[in-house]
Amino acid sequence: MFLEIDHLTMQFGGLIAVNDVSINIEKGEIHGLIGPNGSGKTTIFNVLSGYYKPSGGKIIFEGRQISGLSAHQITAAGFARTFQNMRLFKSMTVMENLLVAMGYRAKVGLWQEIFNPVAVHREEQRFTEKALELLDLLEVAEFANELAISLPYGHQRRVEIARAMATDPKVILLDEPAAGLNEIETEELRKILTNIHERGITILLVEHDIKLVMEACEIITVLDYGKKIAEGTAVAIRKDPVVIEAYLGKEGNQ
Amino acid sequence: MSVTSIFFQTLIGGIGIGSLYALVALGYSMTFRSMGLVNFAQGSIYMVGTYFGIIWYQGMVMNLHVPYAVAFLIGLLCNALLGIVLERIFRPLAKLDLMLMLLATIGLGFILDNLFTIIFGATGFAVDSPLPNTPWNIFGVRVLPQMALLIGVSFALMIGNQLFLSKTKWGRAMRASAMDFEIARAMGIPTNRMNALALSIGCMMSAAAGILAAPIVYVSPSMGVAVGLKGFAAAILGGLGSVPGAIAGGLVYGVLEALSAGYISSTWTQAIAYIVMVVVLMVKPSGIVGEITVEKV
Amino acid sequence: MKKITRILRWILILAVACLMLVLPWIAQNRYQVHIVNNIGIWLLLSLGLNIAMGYAGQYNLALGALWGVGAYTAALLQTRLGVPFWINLPLSIIAAVIIAAFVGLPSFKVRSHYLALVTIALGEAMNLVLVNETPITGGADGIGHIQMPNLFGFPINNDERYYYIILIMVILGYVVGRQIVGHRIGRAFRALRDDFQAARAMGVNTGFYQILAFAISGAYAGAAGALYAQLNTYISPDIFTFNSALIVLTMILVGGMGSLPGSVVGTVLLLVLNEYLQVFQRWQLVGYGIAIIVVVLFLPGGVVELARKFESFRQRWLAGLTKGKSDAEAG
Repeated sequence: MFLEIDHLTMQFGGLIAVNDVSINIEKGEIHGLIGPNGSGKTTIFNVLSGYYKPSGGKIIFEGRQISGLSAHQITAAGFARTFQNMRLFKSMTVMENLLVAMGYRAKVGLWQEIFNPVAVHREEQRFTEKALELLDLLEVAEFANELAISLPYGHQRRVEIARAMATDPKVILLDEPAAGLNEIETEELRKILTNIHERGITILLVEHDIKLVMEACEIITVLDYGKKIAEGTAVAIRKDPVVIEAYLGKEGNQ
Repeated sequence: MSVTSIFFQTLIGGIGIGSLYALVALGYSMTFRSMGLVNFAQGSIYMVGTYFGIIWYQGMVMNLHVPYAVAFLIGLLCNALLGIVLERIFRPLAKLDLMLMLLATIGLGFILDNLFTIIFGATGFAVDSPLPNTPWNIFGVRVLPQMALLIGVSFALMIGNQLFLSKTKWGRAMRASAMDFEIARAMGIPTNRMNALALSIGCMMSAAAGILAAPIVYVSPSMGVAVGLKGFAAAILGGLGSVPGAIAGGLVYGVLEALSAGYISSTWTQAIAYIVMVVVLMVKPSGIVGEITVEKV
Repeated sequence: MKKITRILRWILILAVACLMLVLPWIAQNRYQVHIVNNIGIWLLLSLGLNIAMGYAGQYNLALGALWGVGAYTAALLQTRLGVPFWINLPLSIIAAVIIAAFVGLPSFKVRSHYLALVTIALGEAMNLVLVNETPITGGADGIGHIQMPNLFGFPINNDERYYYIILIMVILGYVVGRQIVGHRIGRAFRALRDDFQAARAMGVNTGFYQILAFAISGAYAGAAGALYAQLNTYISPDIFTFNSALIVLTMILVGGMGSLPGSVVGTVLLLVLNEYLQVFQRWQLVGYGIAIIVVVLFLPGGVVELARKFESFRQRWLAGLTKGKSDAEAG
């Protein structure tokens, strides 16, 4: 198994945010994670990216337990993420944002970093080229030297995905990437997802835009009140009475 | 003296100095909860308030020797006005980065300290106690009347402040304004005026602390430096922004200081108090009274 | 146009370099050179603190005490063991780096004003060690009779000669500082200042970089301490306090937080002003306070921001000129 979330439980004080959830994710798949607000999606992301230590259960990635590692170690293991409320580094240009994400792969050591300008220069060039390629992929290369947070909203979303890609991940966690995007931008996002997918990167997607999830994801897991209530293809999920009751039904009532 | 009476002697000293810290800590907390601003000039405000009161009592103005109680009230009133002025100065600061805020208030303290040095000279003076200097003997524990006054009035002020905040219309409006600025404003509460009131109360508390302690300590333009730092430590110890926390923090800090001076080593008192503070912050950053907050990711 | 600017820049740099080289000869008296030496020492402190605070957002207000660690290490090694300058200088730096790393440990648990308070407390506690451990540190009286350096038989026994040592250290400090903040380390620093959680998710080992930021400011403070001790041949604890950290903080703020040239501008400006304003005595300090508030309210980026604004204005003006010209040609 590529990525295995095994009986994961996450508790804050008396509140159980995630309750005994197990999800298996195959290499290279686009896996959707949906559920009403407060169903524990983002909490699962935060455990996966190492912000929280799980209260129970574990996460196995490529045969190795990664739950309990700190966030930067998990990034080094091959995880990258974006944030619901976009967290680009506010003092940095688009390029610098990407360079930060590449930093931990640097081969130049700390002392060289300070005392060997030639090696540093060479590495910076290598990183810059790679970053430009990623920015090209996400069609924001022209803004490379602009302050990231000065870009329009849709572009910032793309920069954030590019920044996650810059860590050279095996799995990418996208936390509501379509939030705040209009229809055209969402359609472009779908193409971007396909592009990332074609590069062999596994995608885990939390999203409120059901249409996008149904179209893009191969497997969908549905959560409600911290519990997994269903899992399957888009077609199966759409027909599942439990899901309709718990999730789609609620949406319909609103 | 017996072991227990030495202990109580030390304890009373600690509570005395602790109530001083608590009043200054209240100044920090009132400013922080109303404007979200750490006012590092609080020590200077304490010094300024002391002078505002004591100069009348000591006959430094036109040789007037007004009664201590009147001087006390004059000092409080002057500092209340200072609080109103400060609110106006701090208003643009509240929106800034923490570091800038910190520096501006430090700058303000710098101005006050040096202005008062220019006016009154760098050397300080001792203040005669309005009460007799012979200590009372209470069950073998010797207590200076001035110390008893300091503790008594401090506690009365702290309780009064708490009652004001929880029971009166103004106090409740202030709390609403401190909790959520936007909503309070939408409800028609004049938030700026509430902030001015909060700052005024904080400044008055500091003045009260200074004027009450003046006959025990030594009055000089640099008297606020150490007290300011310790008051801040007390405020953080209790949980910055919490009113009961400030009081508890001040008392704990004062008692701690007195106990370490009495039982461990007087040369290391300061260092020990600093280290304990660091340890408390590390173990429970929200302070001894504050609630646990989960950091949002 | 660009070429001319570049040539002008090089001329400027050369002129400054020449001026720095001959400075002890054009000074009117030894006191002036002493002042310049002092500026150099404060420059090291402000460069170090700017890297830790302006870039990495780590409030190291124990800086005064760390400066003392450097000074006392050098002084003790020199007076007790006769360790020569070129060995006691690196040892002082190492000592300050180690202590600074420990001062940085609380940054794992506490942040912003809490961290500021913790570092203030640790610094003041360290200062009390200097005051109280009389058998070792000489207590409040400090340590005297520190020898000025003797480099390989060449005595550096006056301010003019010492000036060159300080000059080398400051230039080294600046160049190393630029190398630190300009590349990977600097970006990691800014990342953890801008958004701590996002930095972690981007693979930045935040704990490591926090300690590194403290250690770097410690290294600068250590060097400044060793230089200070051997310049003044006498040290006492009263300068190695929170107050000194505050002065450095003011320098950075006035010059520009998160900018190395800002550190230089702020330090030189404040210390030169300090000399000229001595006649006003206390009023000068009141003026300092007012200056801080004015800078915070109206120029939060410091003096370098002013320069930056001017530069962008000039760029726009130049762009406007060329555009006007091409428009005219097109028309």
